[in-house]
Amino acid sequence: MPKNLFLDPAELRKPKMLELDSIPVNQYKKTVKEELSRYSREDFIRIYRDMYIIREFETMLNLIKTTGEYNGMSYSHPGPAHLSIGQEAAAVGMAYHLGIDDFIFGSHRSHGEILAKGLSAIHKLDNDSLDKIMKSYFDGRILSIVEKGHSGDIKSLALRFLLYGTLAEIFARETGFNRGLGGSMHAFFTPFGIYPNNAIVGGSGDIAVGAALYKKVNRKPGIVVANIGDASLGCGPVWEGMVFSAMDQFNQLWEKDMKGGMPIIFNIMNNQYGMGGQTAGETMGYTIAARVGAAVNRVNMHAERVDGYSPLAVIDAYERKMKLLNEKKGPVLLDVLTYRFSGHSPSDSSSYRSKEEIEAWESIDSIDSFGKELMDSGLADQSELEKIRSEITDLVSLACRLSIDDAVSPRMDLVKNPELIGEMMFSNGSVDRMEERQADVLMPLEENPRVKQLMKKERYAYDAKGNPHSSMKLYQFRDGIFEAIINRFYRDPTLVAYGEENRDWGGAFAVYRGLTEALPYHRLFNAPISEGAIVGTAIGYGMCGGRVIPEIMYCDFLGRSGDEVFNQLPKWQSMSGNLIRMPVVLRVSVGSKYGAQHSQDWSSLVAHIPGIKVVFPATPYDAKGLMNAALQGTDPVVFFESQRLYGIGEQFHKEGVPEGYYEVAIGEPDVKRPGKDITILSIGATLYRVVEAAERLLKEYDLSAEIIDARSLVPFNYEPVLESIRKTGRILLVSDACERGSYLKDMAQTITELGFDDLDAPPVVVGSRNWITPAYELEDYFFPQASWILDAIHEHILPLKNHKTENNFSREIKLRRSRMGV
Amino acid sequence: MNRKRIEIMAKPVIMPRQGQSVESCILTQWFKNIGDKVEKGDLLFAYETDKAAFEEEAPEEGVLLARYYEEGDEVPVLENVAMIGAEGEPIDQAVSAADKQEGRPDTGSGEKLSGAGGDAEGEIAKETGQIVHSGLSADGERITAAGEKAGGGGPVKISPRARKLAEEKRVIYDLLKGSGPGGRIIERDILEAIRSGKRLTPLAERKMKGEGLGIPDQGKAPYGKITSRDLVERPAEVPAASAGDYTDKPLSNMRKLISAAMFRSLQNSAQLTHHLGANASALLMLRKQVKSGMGDGYPYNITLNDMICYAVVRALKRHPGVNAHFLGDAVRVFNKVNLGVAVDTERGLMVPVLLNADDLSLTGLSSRMKDLADSAKKGNISPDLLTPESASFTVSNLGNYGVEMFTPVINLPQVAILGVNTIVHRPAILKDGSYSFQPFIGLSLTYDHRALDGGPATLFLVAVKEEIEKLSDDLL
Repeated sequence: MPKNLFLDPAELRKPKMLELDSIPVNQYKKTVKEELSRYSREDFIRIYRDMYIIREFETMLNLIKTTGEYNGMSYSHPGPAHLSIGQEAAAVGMAYHLGIDDFIFGSHRSHGEILAKGLSAIHKLDNDSLDKIMKSYFDGRILSIVEKGHSGDIKSLALRFLLYGTLAEIFARETGFNRGLGGSMHAFFTPFGIYPNNAIVGGSGDIAVGAALYKKVNRKPGIVVANIGDASLGCGPVWEGMVFSAMDQFNQLWEKDMKGGMPIIFNIMNNQYGMGGQTAGETMGYTIAARVGAAVNRVNMHAERVDGYSPLAVIDAYERKMKLLNEKKGPVLLDVLTYRFSGHSPSDSSSYRSKEEIEAWESIDSIDSFGKELMDSGLADQSELEKIRSEITDLVSLACRLSIDDAVSPRMDLVKNPELIGEMMFSNGSVDRMEERQADVLMPLEENPRVKQLMKKERYAYDAKGNPHSSMKLYQFRDGIFEAIINRFYRDPTLVAYGEENRDWGGAFAVYRGLTEALPYHRLFNAPISEGAIVGTAIGYGMCGGRVIPEIMYCDFLGRSGDEVFNQLPKWQSMSGNLIRMPVVLRVSVGSKYGAQHSQDWSSLVAHIPGIKVVFPATPYDAKGLMNAALQGTDPVVFFESQRLYGIGEQFHKEGVPEGYYEVAIGEPDVKRPGKDITILSIGATLYRVVEAAERLLKEYDLSAEIIDARSLVPFNYEPVLESIRKTGRILLVSDACERGSYLKDMAQTITELGFDDLDAPPVVVGSRNWITPAYELEDYFFPQASWILDAIHEHILPLKNHKTENNFSREIKLRRSRMGV
Repeated sequence: MNRKRIEIMAKPVIMPRQGQSVESCILTQWFKNIGDKVEKGDLLFAYETDKAAFEEEAPEEGVLLARYYEEGDEVPVLENVAMIGAEGEPIDQAVSAADKQEGRPDTGSGEKLSGAGGDAEGEIAKETGQIVHSGLSADGERITAAGEKAGGGGPVKISPRARKLAEEKRVIYDLLKGSGPGGRIIERDILEAIRSGKRLTPLAERKMKGEGLGIPDQGKAPYGKITSRDLVERPAEVPAASAGDYTDKPLSNMRKLISAAMFRSLQNSAQLTHHLGANASALLMLRKQVKSGMGDGYPYNITLNDMICYAVVRALKRHPGVNAHFLGDAVRVFNKVNLGVAVDTERGLMVPVLLNADDLSLTGLSSRMKDLADSAKKGNISPDLLTPESASFTVSNLGNYGVEMFTPVINLPQVAILGVNTIVHRPAILKDGSYSFQPFIGLSLTYDHRALDGGPATLFLVAVKEEIEKLSDDLL
C-alpha cells in the first residue's frame, strides 16, 4: 500500500502474454572423472564416507526398530524413526558447501541432513573451534562420554561427538543434543548450524524464512536451507513461507544494503512420496515440484530440479544457488529428486509401491554408484572403500553402545527432579536488547510526531474534578502499547515488527501510527495475508536470537496460524533442552461488531497450550507495563488486546500512565477495586462491564464487590484471588470468551480446589453464549453484560433482595443448553 | 420518619409457615385481584401443604397492590406473596422499606446486633477452644444423624464457608432456612443465627421497647425468631418493664462454659428422669450418730451427702451399666467408680471428680469429699478433675435447699446423673401394720435413653434406695 507504488490502469489493462522462463531439470550429468579437476581425492572420499555414515546410521536404527538388534546389541526403541536410506546423496550434496553460518532446518526425516551438515561443519571448523564447541556444550558432558578410549585427532573425536549426540537424542537420553527432549524428529545442534527439525510436515517452511529474515535484517552472514519434503508442498504454511520470502518489497521498497532478496533455499527433498501418497501422479498436480517456483515470483524462485542420486549434481547446484543468494537474488527453490528404500517408518509395509520400483532405485543406489565411480576413476580401490565402511560400522556401533547404556546415557531423572521439564518450559530471561549495537532508526525518538503528540495527552482519564477528559485529549490504551513498542525499537536493534497493515496504515487500529516515520522498512513492514507465515517467520527470527512482534489483526485469524501458535511457538525452548530463546511477542487483537469471524476471544485456546505466556491487559497502564515486560522477556508471549479498549483512558491508576519505563509483572492479577462482599475476576474488556455491575451492586443491593483484573492467563498467581475470597467468600468470573471451555472454568476449578472452605457458593463463570457472534446490534445478547453478572450472582451465589432477573441463569436452562450443545 | 407514615406504608403478606418441616406451600387460589380493596380479615388467598389446606386473611385494610405468585405456584414459606397498601403507593419502595423493618434475611445490613449475644457467642468459641473441640465430635455425630431433615428434604445444603463458620461458632445449622440459591445455607445465615442471640427482629425489638409489649418464648419465624407479628399476636403476660430498666451483664467464662455444656447436653442426648423415694430413717440415724460421736471426739464429719454418695457407689458396683460413658457407637463401662460431685462455688457450679471412689470406706470417702470440695471452692483443683470425661457418674444434691424434685442435666458423655432431693416426711405402713410418718429422701435419676432403657435405670435407682436404707453404724 505504499503511495510510491502507482497502480497504473493504462499499463495494467494492456493485453499481453505472461511468459515464464523455463525451469532446468536434471541438467547436471557429470561423472567423477569429469569433475576430477574440481574436487580433490579427499573431497571425493569424504563425500563417499559421509554418505556411508548416514547409510550405516539409518541402517542401525532400522535394524533396532525391526529386529531389536544391531551388531549383537539388543535394544528396543519405541519412539519414532523416519529413515532416509537411499537419500544420502541428496543430504550430503546439500551440506557440502554449507558453512557454520549457514543454517539448515529440517523435517521428520532429517537424520541424514543432521549428519551431513554436522560432518560438513566438522570438516570446515578448525580444531580450536571444534574443541571449544564440544567442551562448552552442556559443560562438556557429551564430550566426556565420547572421549573415553578415543585416540586420534580432534576431528575424529568430533565425529564420535556428532553420532553419539544425535543418537542419544533419538533415544531420548539426557546426554543427547537436546537433553532427550527433542528426539528423532526434532533433534538439532545449533553450534554446527543445524536448526530444529520439525515433526509437522512443512513446519520448517515458514520458520526457516524467519531465520533468513533474521540474517538479512541483522546483517548476519550465511544462508538458510529449509529441508522440506515434496509432500509439504501441499501445506499452506510452506506456500505462505515461500510467498513471504519472495515479497517484492525486498527489492522495491527496502533501502540501501537491505535492498535485495532473502538468503533462503527451499530444498525439497523430493523422495516422491508423502508417507504413501505419491506426489507426482496422485496427490499433487505439479508433476515436477520445481514447477511451483513459477507461481511465486518472476524468476521462478530460480527453481531447478536436480538429480539427488548424484551427490555431485546437488553439490553443483548448491554452489550456483549460494552464489545467487550472496548476490541477494533469493529465494531459491531446489527440487532434489531422490528416493527412500526404507519405508515411511519401520512399520511401513510398502503397500503403495511395487517391489520392482524399489529394486530399480536400489540398482542405482547412489553410494554403490559413487563408490564404483571412485574405483573407476582410480581414486580408491575396493579394499580402501571396505576399510572406510568397516571404520564407520565401528563408529556407529560405538555410538549405539554408548547411547543404549543407561549408566552412560541416563534419561532425565523425573523422580529425583520432578520439575526438570517444567523448569524448561520458559526461559524467564530479562534482556534489554538481544544484541549490543546501534538500532536502525530514521529519527531521534523525541522528534517522532506521535511521541510529541503524546507528551500533551492526559494520562489519567479524569480531571481534578473527576470529569472525564475528551477522547481527543486522552492518552489511550493504544498509546500505551505504542509507547512500550517504540521505546523497545530504540533500545533493541534486533526488534522487528510486521503483520497485516503495520506500515503506512499504522496498524488496523492505529497502534503503530508514528512507527512508519521512525523505522526503516526492514524493521517494520507489511506482511502478506499469511498468518501462518507471520507467526512462523517470527518463530524462526526469535530462535536465531532476534526479538520480534508479529501481529494477528483479528483473534479469529489465529486459526490460520494454528500450527505455528500451538505446535511451534510454545515448543522450541523446551524441546531444545532450554538452549533456544523465543523472544516473540505475538499481538492478537480481539474484535467485536464484525460478527462471527471477527469477534472471538480465543485466549482460552492459547492458554491451554503449555509453553506460551498469555496476557490480556484491559487498561492503558497495564497495556504499557505488560508490553514492556513482554518485550523485556525471552519467552513467547501472546498479547491479547481488545478492540473495544483501544480508545479508553486510564481509569484506575490515579497517577496516570507513567511517561517512563516500567514493567507490570506477567502473571500477577490486579485488584482494581477493593470490596468485601463478592469478588469478581475479569479477563480483558469485561472489566468495564464488571465496574458497571459493581456500581449497581453497591447502589441497589448494598454489596461491595472486589474487582480483580486477571491481566495474565499464563502464568497466573492465584494468591491474590484466594486472599480475596478468604474475605468475600464468593467469586464470579467473567470474560468475553464463549463460556464452554473458557479459561475461566479452569480458574474456577482451581479456585474451588484451593479455596473450597472459604467459599460460600461455587465460583460462577459468566462467558459469552456458545453461539456464533451475531451482528453488532445483537451483541448485547451474546457478550456478558452487567445485568448478566447481577443475575448470575442472584441465581447462583447470593440471592439479591427483590432482584428482578433479566436473563435466565437457572439450573434448568443450563442443563437444557448443555444438552443442546449451545 | 414519623409513625403515621409507617402505618400507611404498604405491608407485605407472606406465606405463613405451617409447621417446622414445611419449606413451601402451593398457592391454590387468589380471592382478590390487584387493585381490589381489602378489609382486615378478608380472605386473600388459599394455599395448601402436602397435608392440609389453609386460607390466609388480609392482615391490614388497604388495596391489594401486588401479587408475586400465581395460582399453582410453589411458594417458599415466609416469602412475600402480596403487598397491601394505599392506592397508588409505589411498591418497590414499599417492599424494600417493609423488608428493612422485618429484617428478612438479606445482605445482613437490615439487621443489627441485638444485645451482646452475638459477641458472647464469639468469645465462647475463642476462649473455650477445648470445649468447642470436644463439642465438635459430638456435633459431627449429630449432624450426620440430623442430615436428613424431618420433612424428608434431603441432606442439608450448606456452603463450605458457612459450614466452617457454623462449626467454629457452634451454630446448629441443620434446621436453619438457607437464604442462598436453592435454599442453600450460606455464610450470612450463620451470621444471622449468631447475631440473633435474642432472636428478635429489629422491628420486634423496637416495638417491644416502644410499645411495652412482652415477648413469647419462641417466635414463628425460622429458628424461633420473633418478629413483630409474634408480639402482636401474643401480647405481654407480664407487666412490661419500662424501657431501660435492666442491665446486661456479660457472661463470665465460667458461666459460658457451663451454659455451653448444659445446652450441648440437652441438645445432644435423650434424657429423661425417674423419681423415687428412699426411706431415710437409717440415713438420719447414722448422721445423728456421727454428730453425737463428734461431740465425743469422733474425727469425721460424715455428711448426709457423703453417706448418699457412698450408697450410690455401692449401687453402681451392682449396676455397672450405669457407671459408663456413651460414645455414640459404643458404651464404655468403667471398672472403677469415678464419682463426680456437683459443688456450688462462688464462681458457679463445679463438678470435681472423686477418683476410685469404690476403693474407699465411708470415712475415707467423706474426708476425700471434703478435700475435693475445699479445693474446688479455693479454685486450686486440678482441671483434669473437672472434665465430664473424668467422671463415670455424677451426683447432684439439692436436698439442703429444700428442693423436692428436679431433673438434673447429664454431664455428657456420662450416661446418667443422680439428683438428691430434700427429706420429706410422708405416711408409711410400718411392719406392724400401723401408719406412721417416715422420712423419705427423693432420688431423681436422669439417664440417657440412648444408653440405657427404663428397666435397668429403675433397677439401679432401686439399688440406690436399698443401699441408703441399709446404711448402718458398721460403717463408722
